[in-house]
Amino acid sequence: MNLKFLVVDDSVTMRRIVINSLANLNYLDYVEATDGKDALAKLESDPEINFVITDWNMPEMSGLELVKAIRADERFSELPVLMVTTRGLKNDIIEALKARVNNYILKPFTPQVLREKIEQILSTTITEK
Amino acid sequence: MNSEAVMTRLFEKLNDLKSIFLYSEKLIPVIQSLIDFMRETIPLLENINHSIADSAAKIPKVSHQINNVTNATELATNEILDLVDKMLNETRHSESMLERLLELEAEKSELIREVAMHSTSPKASELLQKYDEKYDNTARLEVMLGVVKNIKQYANNITLSLQVQDITAQQLAAVNHLIDSVQKKLGSLIHDIEKTQLRSSDELQIPFEESMTFDPNARYQSGYTSQKMVDDVVSKKINPATQDEIDKLFHKE
Repeated sequence: MNLKFLVVDDSVTMRRIVINSLANLNYLDYVEATDGKDALAKLESDPEINFVITDWNMPEMSGLELVKAIRADERFSELPVLMVTTRGLKNDIIEALKARVNNYILKPFTPQVLREKIEQILSTTITEK
Repeated sequence: MNSEAVMTRLFEKLNDLKSIFLYSEKLIPVIQSLIDFMRETIPLLENINHSIADSAAKIPKVSHQINNVTNATELATNEILDLVDKMLNETRHSESMLERLLELEAEKSELIREVAMHSTSPKASELLQKYDEKYDNTARLEVMLGVVKNIKQYANNITLSLQVQDITAQQLAAVNHLIDSVQKKLGSLIHDIEKTQLRSSDELQIPFEESMTFDPNARYQSGYTSQKMVDDVVSKKINPATQDEIDKLFHKE
């Protein structure tokens, strides 16, 4: 399966780190967005995007709002979304899961964890299909 | 009322008045000391007020400095990332070259072996043994390839450690938010004391952006403990063992 990632983070450092980690896992196709609004615009304009990796704390539109907006749109309701954030409180994780993120990674993360979560999400979404 | 009664009433009133005077006499030193206390307190209050105003004036500078630190670390982090990217490109290039050299070395070894086998000279097997012992570079190339792979791994680890920049940026944003609240509180204190607004010139404005978002609990922790907790919550939610567990999970919210 060819994956095209949408990497959403307001920090240029974090976007680069996520993209580098994806490259190490041989995922070389990606698009960047600086916040939730930008991400929604990228999703509208690029139908090839089939995996979203998003931060939570962002200006304009947070990652959580982005997930809710994605799930509210029929076209993207099953789009895999992985949250990568510093927010480690149980209530935050539950809130994200309620908004229907597919999985959740705490920063700082390792490529192994990233690989594991991407594979988990892909296996779940493929099984569901 | 006769005059005797009037006089009695008058004396009573005079006595009351005398008591008041006597009481006032005792009260005057107390009032005096209170006035003295207030006289001494006013400069102290003014001093406090000046200190608050002074502190309030310094806060925007502190806030500016925090923003500068965030910008500088972001810039420096990205410069390091640029260098790490270059390093990774070089190591990837070296890695593929060494892998190719290993393949060529194997081909070369095979070729020499074939030449030796086709040779009728008795020296051929002796030379082949010498080649195997001294001139076969496979082992050396494998060591070099291992070193290059290690360097690549270290470079990747540096990249991952640089996540600390995002985490500290969020912590600094949280500190700035706190400073902004203190500034507002000090402003209202000065207003209460002086009945004048805190100077609202540009230099007193905190460079705090309302749109700035951050996680006040952001922590840089290596290891798997925190992620393990996340995984536990996620797996319970995604693959709940029992309804009881789901209920417990939501009950804790």
